[in-house]
Amino acid sequence: MSAAAPGLARRRPAARRAPRGRFRTVWKEARRDPVKVVIFLLLLAVSAGMLYPFLFMILNSLRSENQYLSGTGFSTVSWGQLFANLPVGRELLNSTLVCVASIAIILALSSAAGYAFAKLRFRRQGLLFFAVIGSMMVPLQSIIIPVYVNFAHLHLINTYLGAILVYAGFGTPFATFLMTTFFRGLPDELTEAAACDGLGHAGSFFRVALPMAKPALATVAVLQFIQIWDDLLVGLLFLQEPTNRTITVGLGVLSSGRVVSVPVLMAGSLVSALPAVLVYLFFQRYLVAGLTLGVNR
Amino acid sequence: MASISIEKVTKIYPNGFEAIHELDLDVADGEFMVLVGPSGCGKTTALRMVAGLEDITGGTLRIGDRIVNDVSSKDRDIAMVFQNYALYPHMTVAENIGFALKLRKIPKAEIKKKVEDAAAILGLTEWLDRKPGQLSGGQRQRVAMGRAIVREPSVFLMDEPLSNLDAKLRVQMRAEVARIQRRLNVATLYVTHDQVEAMTMGDRVAVMRAGLLQQCDKPQVLYDHPVNLFVAGFMGSPAMNLFDATLGEGAATALVGSQKLELPSSLHAIRPALKSYANRPVIIGIRPEDLPVAGDEPAAIDEAVYFEGDVELVEALGSELLVHFTTDAHRVEAEGAKDADSEGLSAGALTKGGEGVARVEPRSQLVVGRRVRFRIDPARFHFFDPASGLSITS
Repeated sequence: MSAAAPGLARRRPAARRAPRGRFRTVWKEARRDPVKVVIFLLLLAVSAGMLYPFLFMILNSLRSENQYLSGTGFSTVSWGQLFANLPVGRELLNSTLVCVASIAIILALSSAAGYAFAKLRFRRQGLLFFAVIGSMMVPLQSIIIPVYVNFAHLHLINTYLGAILVYAGFGTPFATFLMTTFFRGLPDELTEAAACDGLGHAGSFFRVALPMAKPALATVAVLQFIQIWDDLLVGLLFLQEPTNRTITVGLGVLSSGRVVSVPVLMAGSLVSALPAVLVYLFFQRYLVAGLTLGVNR
Repeated sequence: MASISIEKVTKIYPNGFEAIHELDLDVADGEFMVLVGPSGCGKTTALRMVAGLEDITGGTLRIGDRIVNDVSSKDRDIAMVFQNYALYPHMTVAENIGFALKLRKIPKAEIKKKVEDAAAILGLTEWLDRKPGQLSGGQRQRVAMGRAIVREPSVFLMDEPLSNLDAKLRVQMRAEVARIQRRLNVATLYVTHDQVEAMTMGDRVAVMRAGLLQQCDKPQVLYDHPVNLFVAGFMGSPAMNLFDATLGEGAATALVGSQKLELPSSLHAIRPALKSYANRPVIIGIRPEDLPVAGDEPAAIDEAVYFEGDVELVEALGSELLVHFTTDAHRVEAEGAKDADSEGLSAGALTKGGEGVARVEPRSQLVVGRRVRFRIDPARFHFFDPASGLSITS
């Protein structure tokens, strides 16, 4: 005890000098490993490069056309113009509706399919899974025209349902892949215990597997939200009416006008990007967890 | 409550591999039956077939009077405890234990009472609101047991439920599981690869190897009268010492290495079939505890047989000594002995060539490198046919 007391007394002032101490540690580290310093500076430059468009967007949305051209002063004129020229509220609502409905379909289909691929045994299972994975390789752009023609025959152009089905159809394969990987990671004993407890396949899925799949479902939802919210092509083709346009389509229309006001466009872009950025920031840990699914098996 | 009847049950996988070949086994109502064998012997497959988690290729499986070959798990009225416990991580301990009752739509108050009773039996009362992730291995194992007992099933099935516990806890839980089974008096099929568990827990033990049932009997009968080399080598730790030997004229002597053992006539009375092996090779087996050092044996042995070896290593376990000795005889390594799990120091891993192991009195005066003389009761010898591996008995 007597030996410990002086030791503690000596440590205390050192703790008070912590910031200086930490700086010294970083400096020592840097001198020992200059490569790390180079990597750090490189990453700093890349981050700055990636953040600059956001800064540009925020700063210039807070300027009028003249202030933008002169590069001085701030005002909220552009925001007023944006809300006057574009039904922002309606378009945000449309985007939300299409996103939520598509994600709901994707989650329902991918979780059920993922469970079936991972936990059930049926004929041609491998082939079917291969087909699902294979469909992920087909770029949306290459088949969008036939899809458009077929949907036109079904009178699904300019309807929410049309866009929702396209988003759900293109989002489900990757989501199924993620969900299959997740369910494969669940021990078979869990579903077997559920069977012994008195549950059938549907019961095991809904009452045991699905409640445990919340992190995977969140990953799928976040990934799909960002993708669908930011999409322009499907919205442009399938939601052409001013009343059912999504925010990205509205923004596209705004930028294709004869006179383009950069500050108004920046304000619109900010409105459009913000929900996706917020969703990403809040659910970042699910994304990382989802993207490393199956790594620690 | 019900019995389990397995009649000529076979399991062949789609790739043609036969995991179980015509297994016949009956577990009486209230009986604790242990299925034991090395990895890949088919014991877990057999258990899973009883649980309804594997299809049965052939034969008949009955639980009680009902044939359940094509009955799904949920309709078999069984409760299973899994090796990794298979607790639902998103539910609390109380929800885990009461889940099956909830599915049966039993009133909430009744579920609560049953869960609390089970928790009291298992010492889980204070953990009922915890999630499985917050429990230790032993507590999780108890929750798994609780989940099984609260259902009051016809049959208990347990798949190596203690194998994930540390040695001390395993010994403790071994007694606890056996006590609970006796208290509930439900037919239990318990799978393990640990022959100590099998010996200590089972009313009867069924030894399996490569999909075939080798022997099924009371633990002491298996130990004292193994039907073949595999069972002899598998049951017991350290494993039985098995040496190549040749019987002499009239089977009155046995040549083990260069040592000629005089076999008394009393031995022939116990094993009359031995005479037909006169002038033929046999495998002679002696349990380590049947090799007392001459002079140390607890009671005088009539017509004792002496056997000698050179002390190579002495392991002091406090209550006894394990003496590793060498002889010039050829040691036969029974297949099962290598796989048998053991809590002792010598599961056969240390034995090689002509080595043997003896379990002797703790105060025996033994010096490494010196010759040791064992005095054996001839009734304790085991003899096996080298060709078939079967025990030479009557």
